[in-house]
Amino acid sequence: MSEPRPDRTLGPRHDMFWQYCGQGELRVPKCTACGKLVWPVLKACDRCGDENFEWARMSGRGKLVSWCSFVQDYYKATLPVPYDTILVELEEGLLFISIPDGFTEADMSPGMQLELRLRDCHDSAGAFRLPVFVRA
Amino acid sequence: MSIRDLPEASRSLSGKVAIVGLGETDYGDDYRASRAKAEGWERPTPEHLAVTAFERALADSGLRRSDIDGLGVSFLYGGPQPAEAAALLGLTPRYLTQVFGIMAGPLPQACAAIAEGKCDSMAVVYAVATRSIGRKFGGANFDDDSGAPPSYYYYHPWGWSSQAAHWAMTWRFYQQQYGRNDADLGAIAIETRKHAMAHPQAVMQTPITIEDYLGARFVVKPLRLYDLCVVNDGAICFIVTRADRARDLAHTPVALAGWGESIVKADKLDALVRGQLRPHYQEAGRQALTMAGLSLADIQHFETGDMSTVNPINALEGYGFAEPGTAIDLCRAGELSLGGRLPMNMAGGMLSGAYMHGWSHVAELVRQLRHEAGPRQVPDLEVSMFNLAQTDQVHPLIFKRGV
Repeated sequence: MSEPRPDRTLGPRHDMFWQYCGQGELRVPKCTACGKLVWPVLKACDRCGDENFEWARMSGRGKLVSWCSFVQDYYKATLPVPYDTILVELEEGLLFISIPDGFTEADMSPGMQLELRLRDCHDSAGAFRLPVFVRA
Repeated sequence: MSIRDLPEASRSLSGKVAIVGLGETDYGDDYRASRAKAEGWERPTPEHLAVTAFERALADSGLRRSDIDGLGVSFLYGGPQPAEAAALLGLTPRYLTQVFGIMAGPLPQACAAIAEGKCDSMAVVYAVATRSIGRKFGGANFDDDSGAPPSYYYYHPWGWSSQAAHWAMTWRFYQQQYGRNDADLGAIAIETRKHAMAHPQAVMQTPITIEDYLGARFVVKPLRLYDLCVVNDGAICFIVTRADRARDLAHTPVALAGWGESIVKADKLDALVRGQLRPHYQEAGRQALTMAGLSLADIQHFETGDMSTVNPINALEGYGFAEPGTAIDLCRAGELSLGGRLPMNMAGGMLSGAYMHGWSHVAELVRQLRHEAGPRQVPDLEVSMFNLAQTDQVHPLIFKRGV
C-alpha cells in the first residue's frame, strides 16, 4: 500500500533521482570533472563547481551514523508523530538522510549495518519509491 | 557584492570603528505582554520595534540625529525598504544599505563602509516580529529560496526538516562518541537560565532544575523543549562611529577588533554532524584573532549563538576553549559563569534571553565591555568574543573595551 509523504523537490535533475528509485536503484550525481559524489542534488559540484554529472549507482549498503526522532509535528497531518529518522553513511562514503524500516530508535546503535529498500509512497506530484533502510 | 559578503578580515581595519550607542526593545516585557494579550495590546510591527531601538540607541550615544550619516537595516522577516526606514527614523543618510540579517556581517560591513569614507556614524538596525508573525522553523513550507542550505528543505520526503533536527543529529553523534547522557546537555540549559534571571529583560525568568529539564517534552528527540531557543519579537540598534570620533562620547566605546568567516563548501551535513564544524571554527577563529592581534587566552567573556544547547558546545570545542568532548565539564565546573574562566551568554543567550539572531548577544557584550552590566558584570573585562555559527558557517567577532 502506498504511503503519503511530504512533497519531494522536483525539477530536471531531481526527477532523474526519483526515476532511478522507481527502478529500484539508488543513484546519486557524480561529477564528471572531479569524480566527487554530490548529495543532495545540486546545480554544481560542491568541490570543483562543474555542472556535469553522471548517475553513480550506490551498493545500498551503509552504516548508521546518527539518528533523531520527530516529536513536534512539523508536517501537519502528513506524517503521524513521533517518527524516527536516520543518517546513514553509504558504503561509497556519502551521508544520506533516511528513515528506518522495521526497526526503531530503541534498536539503534552507532555503526549498525543497514541495507537499502525502496518503499512505495506518494506525494502531491504522484507515486514514487522512497529509499529507506532495513537492518542488514 | 551581495549583502551576505563580508569584507576581508584585515589588520588595517582592526579597531577602526567602535560601537557608541546601543538600543534594544524590552524583550521580556514585550514577550509577557504578547502572552497576556491584555485589552489594548497590539501586535508589534517591525517598523515600530525599529523606531524604539533606534531612538534608544541615539539617546544612549549622545549624538545628534543629524550626526547619523549612515544607515544599515535588517528586517529579516519582512519590513520597510532602506529608504522608507530612513524616513521612518527621521534620517537623511548619505550612505544607506541593507545589511546581512543575522549578526555576522553587519558590523564588519559598517566598519568597511566607514573606513571607505561612505559615512562617519552609522546606525545599524535590526527588527523582527518573529513571534507575532508565527514564523515556523521547519516543515513543508519552509522557504527554499532564502539561501538556506539544501538540508532545510531537501529531505522533506523523509520527514526531515527544521533547525532543531540539525542539532539533534549533531548531539546524538557527539553523545555516542564521547559517552554523554541527556542530563549532561541539560547543564547548558540550566546555567543559561540562571544567567537570564540576572537580566530583567530576558524572556525567561523562572529557574529550571534538572528534573524540569528531563521532564519537558521532546521536540526532536534527543532534544527537549529547554534545548531550543525562545521565539520572540524585538529590535536592536547599534550606532557605530569612527574610532577617533568615539573617544569623547557618553559611554566607553567598544571597538570592533576582529572578525572571521568560514563557510562549509561541500558535504554540509557531514561537516556539521561528524565534523562538528571544528575545522571551520579553527579557521574563522584564526582570522579574527590574527586581525585583532590577540590570542585565544586573551578572551575573557564569550557570547555565542545558542539556537540549541548543542551550539555552545560545538563553539567552545571548535575554537579551542575546551578539548573535544569536554565543554560540558567546563559548564559543570562553573567556568562559564561569573567567577569562572570564560563567562558565557551572560544575558541568557537565545535559550532563555532573546532570539535576536545574535544581535542581542552583541548588545550584552557592549554592556559588559562598558562595565555597565550590573550584577552580572564580568570583572576587569577588556576583551570579549562573539560567535554565531549556523549549520554551515561560522562567524566570530572580537571586541575590545576602549579605542
